[in-house]
Amino acid sequence: MTRPVFIADTSLLCARGSSPTAVADAMWNGECTAGRRKIGERTFPYFALPLDETDWMARAEQAICQVAGQLGAIGPKTPLFIASSSFQIGHFEQGGAPFDLPPATASFSRRIAEWMNLSGARTSFSNACTSGFSALDAARTLIAAGLIDDAIVLGIELANDSTLAGFASMELLSRTIGRPFDALRDGLVLGEAIAAVRLTASPATWRLAGLSTGLDGHSTTGPNPDGSRIAEVMAGCMHDANLQPDDIELIKLQAAGSPGTDLAEANALRSVFGQHMPPLISLKPALGHTLGASGLAELAALLACLDADKIPATAGFSKVDPEIALFPMVERSTEHIERAQLNLIGFGGGLASLIVERQR
Amino acid sequence: MIALTNIVSQSFTPADLPGAVRAALGKPLRRAAPLTQLTLVGALACLPAEQRHRPTAILWQSTSGPRLETLALLDEVCSHAAEPMPYDFLATQPAIAPAQIQSFLPGLQSAMHLPLDSEGVSQWSMLLSLAAIWLEEGRYEQVLCAQLDHWSDAATGHWLALSRTPLENSLASLRLSNDACASQLPDTPDFPARLADWLAHRDSATLALHPPVAMKQALEFARL
Repeated sequence: MTRPVFIADTSLLCARGSSPTAVADAMWNGECTAGRRKIGERTFPYFALPLDETDWMARAEQAICQVAGQLGAIGPKTPLFIASSSFQIGHFEQGGAPFDLPPATASFSRRIAEWMNLSGARTSFSNACTSGFSALDAARTLIAAGLIDDAIVLGIELANDSTLAGFASMELLSRTIGRPFDALRDGLVLGEAIAAVRLTASPATWRLAGLSTGLDGHSTTGPNPDGSRIAEVMAGCMHDANLQPDDIELIKLQAAGSPGTDLAEANALRSVFGQHMPPLISLKPALGHTLGASGLAELAALLACLDADKIPATAGFSKVDPEIALFPMVERSTEHIERAQLNLIGFGGGLASLIVERQR
Repeated sequence: MIALTNIVSQSFTPADLPGAVRAALGKPLRRAAPLTQLTLVGALACLPAEQRHRPTAILWQSTSGPRLETLALLDEVCSHAAEPMPYDFLATQPAIAPAQIQSFLPGLQSAMHLPLDSEGVSQWSMLLSLAAIWLEEGRYEQVLCAQLDHWSDAATGHWLALSRTPLENSLASLRLSNDACASQLPDTPDFPARLADWLAHRDSATLALHPPVAMKQALEFARL
């Protein structure tokens, strides 16, 4: 049994707003400011959630309840798929030594389910930046095969020093802004987000038409610069969706302003699309790189943009890098998009690509 | 027909794990966290050399995750208010384990890590359901499903290797089934050992893995 899988609903809380439409409006208006977060002796730009609560766990509950509340009524037994790269490490940081880590690494998922009043199946995914699409992949697979009928897929990445310090230690962070594909790009800007997607076997506006994942073991911190593995994953996604490169009308890039990863993605795009490059957009200059939540947050934000036929300009881009020789959209567009492809290129070698297709 | 081709259970003291890696590779694996080392020795034990180029996925779960490494990172970041050493941060990232072993398993195309949220429960039914569907679709030629844990006193790996087509010495077939099966096992961490025990004792023709939650089909192993 194989059946189509649809996106019935989305919800989102991130630095740009507290619903997908609010985030889409903010991006359309060019909002892209970030706050700052200090780690050790250095301070970095950071996209924090618009929440005043200071207790980490209470703040997490507040954020989850906001996101759950944006979704319509959810059956209590709806399977829940949770994606994160850091789970509740910020809570342990706040508690201080001795650090009270429970034996099960994803125990935070139990609390998330309780806050969402979900008592059905619960599965957690942690594949760094591709966690969200891994969770979507699993949920979509089970729905398509008829094992379950619907699922909530939730991505969560909340503020913590460990991740920021880790990325800082590897000199992966920008001290200013994210500049996707730009000649002056100098690193990522991290952020927080919680996003949820309800997948269903019942017809809805957007179909999850294709999804492919891959692995690039070139380096623990970045893909092979030639982009060959990324190109394979993008082509595999099109094959899964039964589409050709000419069918893709918009690409949501991974591009976060990382010198190496942006170049690899650009080389992959050239390999797949040749001279017929679709319009390119990066949402990370507006939302930050929200790591394990990024796939779902950017999917929710992009669908809200496409629903409104309002594609925002990519902030942070001003100068073409001759080595990349591609540029994201710097003007807003009201183009009506039927099919968009979304890329994730993860820290640690994970790759994922997804295609959404509007249903007539 | 999807075939169960291998069941591997491994247990090491933390001190012995690097030696097991050296024995498997003939050299040490530099800058590799314990979960990466466990992934390597388990995957190589599951797949003989002639199978390592076949399109492969690894789906793995863990209760402990990188617990000890996370505690070390928290100590560095919180107690010393400093940026950690890069390797110390990398060691807390379970997603890098499959990427680090890809050169030894050239067919490895994708990996998925499922951290567990409770002790004593497992997601074998999820891993095996995904594996069965993806093998049936032809997405991969073989899928390795694993539970890997690294505690202060022990490092353990439990593996089930599945192939899209039967291989010589395949142990059982696997399918998703609507039929009721007389023999059932719960989804617990020791499922591979109990599956091996069932294979060793000829008491029923089929065995079902009972998922902890309602999926519309159950996983059924049948003797070959």
